[in-house]
Amino acid sequence: MSGRALVISIIVVAVLAAVPPFLNGYARSLLYITVLYVALAYAWNVISGYAGYLSFGQVTFFGLGAYTTAIAVIRAHLPWWEGALLGGLVSAALAVPLGYLMLRLRGAFFALGMLGMAQTLQVVANSWQLTGGGSGLFLPPGSNALPVYYWTLVIGLLGFATTLFIDRSAFGLRLQALREDEQVASTLGVHVTTTKVWAFVISAIMPGLLGGGYAWYLTYVEPVSAFATRIDLQAVAMTILGGIGTLWGPLIGGVLMSQVSEILAAQYPQAYLMIFGGLVVVLLVLLPRGIAPAISAALERRRARAAQVQR
Amino acid sequence: MSTPLLEVENIRRAFGGVHALDGVSLRVNQGEILCIIGPNGAGKTTLFNIISGVMRPSSGDVRFQGQSIVRWPPQRIAEAGIARTYQIARPFARLCVRDNVAVAALARERTLERARRAAQDVLESVGLASLADRPAGSLTLTQRKRLEVARALALRPKLLLLDEVMAGLTPTEIDAMAVFIEQLRERGIAAIGGVEHVMRVVMRISDRIAVLDFGKKIADGTPVEIADDPRVGEAYFGTQIDETGAGPSFPLKGRP
Repeated sequence: MSGRALVISIIVVAVLAAVPPFLNGYARSLLYITVLYVALAYAWNVISGYAGYLSFGQVTFFGLGAYTTAIAVIRAHLPWWEGALLGGLVSAALAVPLGYLMLRLRGAFFALGMLGMAQTLQVVANSWQLTGGGSGLFLPPGSNALPVYYWTLVIGLLGFATTLFIDRSAFGLRLQALREDEQVASTLGVHVTTTKVWAFVISAIMPGLLGGGYAWYLTYVEPVSAFATRIDLQAVAMTILGGIGTLWGPLIGGVLMSQVSEILAAQYPQAYLMIFGGLVVVLLVLLPRGIAPAISAALERRRARAAQVQR
Repeated sequence: MSTPLLEVENIRRAFGGVHALDGVSLRVNQGEILCIIGPNGAGKTTLFNIISGVMRPSSGDVRFQGQSIVRWPPQRIAEAGIARTYQIARPFARLCVRDNVAVAALARERTLERARRAAQDVLESVGLASLADRPAGSLTLTQRKRLEVARALALRPKLLLLDEVMAGLTPTEIDAMAVFIEQLRERGIAAIGGVEHVMRVVMRISDRIAVLDFGKKIADGTPVEIADDPRVGEAYFGTQIDETGAGPSFPLKGRP
């Protein structure tokens, strides 16, 4: 990241931190949902963008975090954020054995395996007494949304920082190598399994931490919304649109998609999903690798032209 | 006598009913260049896959510096000092050329920065330094072959497995590759080269030659011994080679 990008980033973060108390309820919730999805997109981008394992079930950990928090608050009377931290820990603890198991699968099989995992937990939540069955769990009302927003913003920033680290570390290079060709990576000395399980754990902790905030924000959890495939699909679409496996992709895609879909929903309440879907298709046809790579290619061209003029 | 660098002992590997390798034994000494010749399908790639750990044999043992490595995962074998190239070059297409090599250098260097510097040095030595920032997917076939070699060298191996390094190269490029392999000997790196054709070069660069045919080793010896072995000519060319070296189109005795 250049000096200018760093300055801009600091200003953006300062605005994101300072503005919410002055916003009305609608704008504040829109901002929260946007930041939440950008954070989820950063989580998904590690295992799917950098390691190349497309997952349609990272929501498993989101739901797990939500339920862990609800149970911790109701049963153990912990503050919600301690419950959410616990949710992150539980997610990491599940991700290690699950990663060793699931990451033996490739391509569509891994994607479906993770989808099945989310469905399985949904069924468990639906039928277990501890999780309140189909009606779910209700948290004490009167919660303040602002702390949840800041919690989510911090995790989103951590997601960005983690991606920045991955982008320029040995770990990230190994991850990208195994994405390109796992067998070749292994014969070049890459500890393939360990590397990808680490990536999977990173992609599990973040949704685990975010789920708890979401439960507190909504003041309830129930099986269908906690493990909703829609949440994954949204994060997937945002990342792919913004640029999968890139530093800026989840941010660009996440902000763009949530704003555009909000505007369309307000303007065309009946047809907005259709228009939105059409827009995504058109954009991906025009920029198959996503927006972030297209921007960096354009910047590269401009720099090359400038260099030529100087000569 | 000291232990050989690599000992392959009675390796068998069957795919369904087909015996890709049927009891093959080999040994390679420190700094020695062994070429394995044999027609397509003789079992050369299977042998490389087994030595490098990406495939397990049905039975038999592989020892490296006296230690059995046959059950080791590929990354451990790579770290121990056996590097390989692939018959069809398999670059990490979306990574730049330097990072392709840096992945391997990371096995020896502690930081990414040092690995990239080491990678740059290796790229100099194979003549790819000017392409270091290009995505590897944009390289030509010849350049990809060199990149394969560069990645393997970045592991600083004691033994290099070169699967069909000559295939698809022009005669000039083949000579350049031959010079490169001969330089390995000076650096104390042993090599096993799998070669289907280009006998002229094999005769020149090999310390020893092993001949594979339908998964069996039918001959093993110095280039002169191999050239004189009647079984080799029969299996490999379908006819016996006469003393003048005429007959097959391959100048088997073309040692300068």
